[in-house]
Amino acid sequence: MGKDFEVRKEGSVLTVVLGNELAAANAPALMEELMPYKDQDIERVVFDTTKLTLLSSSGVRIIIYCRQKLSGRPEIVFVNCNKGVLDVLDIVGLCPFITFETR
Amino acid sequence: MNRLHFHSIRGKALAIVDAILHTEEVATAGEAFGAIRLVVEELVMNIADYAYPDGYNDYLDVEIERDETYITLRFRDGGVPFNPLEQTPPDISLPMEERRIGGLGLLIVIKMMDAVTYEYTDGENVLTVKSKIENL
Repeated sequence: MGKDFEVRKEGSVLTVVLGNELAAANAPALMEELMPYKDQDIERVVFDTTKLTLLSSSGVRIIIYCRQKLSGRPEIVFVNCNKGVLDVLDIVGLCPFITFETR
Repeated sequence: MNRLHFHSIRGKALAIVDAILHTEEVATAGEAFGAIRLVVEELVMNIADYAYPDGYNDYLDVEIERDETYITLRFRDGGVPFNPLEQTPPDISLPMEERRIGGLGLLIVIKMMDAVTYEYTDGENVLTVKSKIENL
């Protein structure tokens, strides 16, 4: 699978624009791309999930990684989250710890 | 019934997932496809990564059955005995910063499927998952 996500930093906000899936095929590549931000002060990580239809446990690990490992314990934000993805977040108990926004 | 056999599975999880998802039974499962796709990835990744720590004689057989109401997938491997239904589930009440990573995939499998059963028989782990499908 080619790179189907985009990461950009604006001030203390890290935005991750996701493609159709965040799963075993692309989660390692995204993890690698997030590594350089580990020691930077990030206040919010915004996952743009407008196109996302599949989130597996490999992807869930990335969300937890952002909260645990990025300096500043950033707020995790999901933008335009669809029901299938929301169901997975609910199963793994992450919904109460994520801010959901619709744009 | 459709039967798929994979050998030397280490490092081939994604290709195995792809082959399962392209069977007619799964590809035409309608609204159930999304959940099955997720569950197949979680299970195949687990088996390919952990079932054969010594890496010898590793294989995975997958049987897929469909009737008017259900799709059933049965995963057989000859690796170390592992009953996913007897594992301590992760504590999902903990805030993210206190979470451990393990166990989330199996939790997703158990919650997404209508039935999950396990048995160890004839030297094989046999895990069966069943999902209701819409009438197509």
